[in-house]
Amino acid sequence: VAHVDLEILALLALERAGGTDEDTRHLVTCDVCRAQLSRLAETVALARSEEGSVPLEAPPAQVWSRITAELAVAELGPPQGARAAAGADLASIAAARPAAADGPRASGPRRRWWYRPALIAAAGLIVGAGAATAVQQLGTVPPPPVTVVGRAALQPLPQFPRWRHASGIAVMEEKAGGRLLAVTLRAPASGGFFEVWLLGRDGTKMISLGDLNGAGTGVFIMPPGVDLGFYSRIDISLQPFNGSTAHSKVSVVRGSLPGS
Amino acid sequence: MRTAEDLDISAAFRQGHADGLKQAYDRYSPLVFTIALRMLGSRADAEDVTQHVFVTAWRRRSTFDPDRGSLAGWLTAITRNAMIDLQRRRQRENGALHRMAGSQPSAAPGPEHVVDRVVLADELARLGEPQRIIMALAFYSGLTHQQIAGAMDLPVGTVKSHIRRSLLRLRARLEADSGTRRP
Repeated sequence: VAHVDLEILALLALERAGGTDEDTRHLVTCDVCRAQLSRLAETVALARSEEGSVPLEAPPAQVWSRITAELAVAELGPPQGARAAAGADLASIAAARPAAADGPRASGPRRRWWYRPALIAAAGLIVGAGAATAVQQLGTVPPPPVTVVGRAALQPLPQFPRWRHASGIAVMEEKAGGRLLAVTLRAPASGGFFEVWLLGRDGTKMISLGDLNGAGTGVFIMPPGVDLGFYSRIDISLQPFNGSTAHSKVSVVRGSLPGS
Repeated sequence: MRTAEDLDISAAFRQGHADGLKQAYDRYSPLVFTIALRMLGSRADAEDVTQHVFVTAWRRRSTFDPDRGSLAGWLTAITRNAMIDLQRRRQRENGALHRMAGSQPSAAPGPEHVVDRVVLADELARLGEPQRIIMALAFYSGLTHQQIAGAMDLPVGTVKSHIRRSLLRLRARLEADSGTRRP
């Protein structure tokens, strides 16, 4: 039996749509594909369970000092000299256990410890149901229908060489009568946070849309009635944590909305 | 998702070299600290837990078996158990308080959820471009893959295969490192 293509399962998990009638019929009867779909849908639900993604934060330096202080010098062993030594260690481990070098899946039958009750429950939910219902019952947050009405590539500005490798994209969407702006930014981590602005043609008037999350993403409601003929540009600033609501005058990327 | 760097660190750690601990700390302490910070909400507590996790892991390094999972997964499992212990202690204390006040303790998100969220965020940040932007749009913008392809000037097939590979990669990392295994 040909299983449902992983690409289709991934899109089903994300969009609850896709695949042929044959895929649907197959999903109803195939435990393997349903389990795979559950796993992907669980990942999607987890990603969507909060607004965007949490930034990871390193502990302050004193934690490392406290660890080395707590562990006696005797426990820490001799310093390991060169990187070559690590390579040799790895080689000896790999030689002793050939399968280990190929990663966790290569080492023979293992208990599938990750098969958590929630996952089994998710798979169990859809046994016997039609696949269309099955996908709906997986608990993914359904993406509402949206129409793209414009997009802007966001580019760094020559006067801020620090951000020369930054880039971004802004997509304007129409949904339920309102307009949304989905923004993603790729820029090196910095002290502060990124704020998204509509910039007027005069280069000075600005409207703040909001802040990007730790993953450099944000979806913002466009102010109803805003004159996009005038507020035609999008600007992302790096804002210091100083409590000021004004633009920091440090622009990371900028771009123009089309048709303006 | 274990890279060559992860395997290097894991080997040095198991060998008991001091550099192995430092490398493991540099690579995984943001994961441990962020999980603890989000569970406990207190920086001082999160610092204590991070210290506890790395000291415990180092002392028990002979019980770490790379055949059974990644070092990151083992560390998150130790973190998760430390969180659960702490949560139980607090629940007992709060429960007593709530009983006296005649109310129910509020339900906080479980440690598994927090661990999974932080592991997922770590792996999302490690996706290359344009995969990271594609997945951010797919997760959070409500755009379909066709719309993302249009918005990014990429062929639909390319976007679909990025989505498949990235989603499987995120899933694999969660399964490897979400810390649901006992250390």
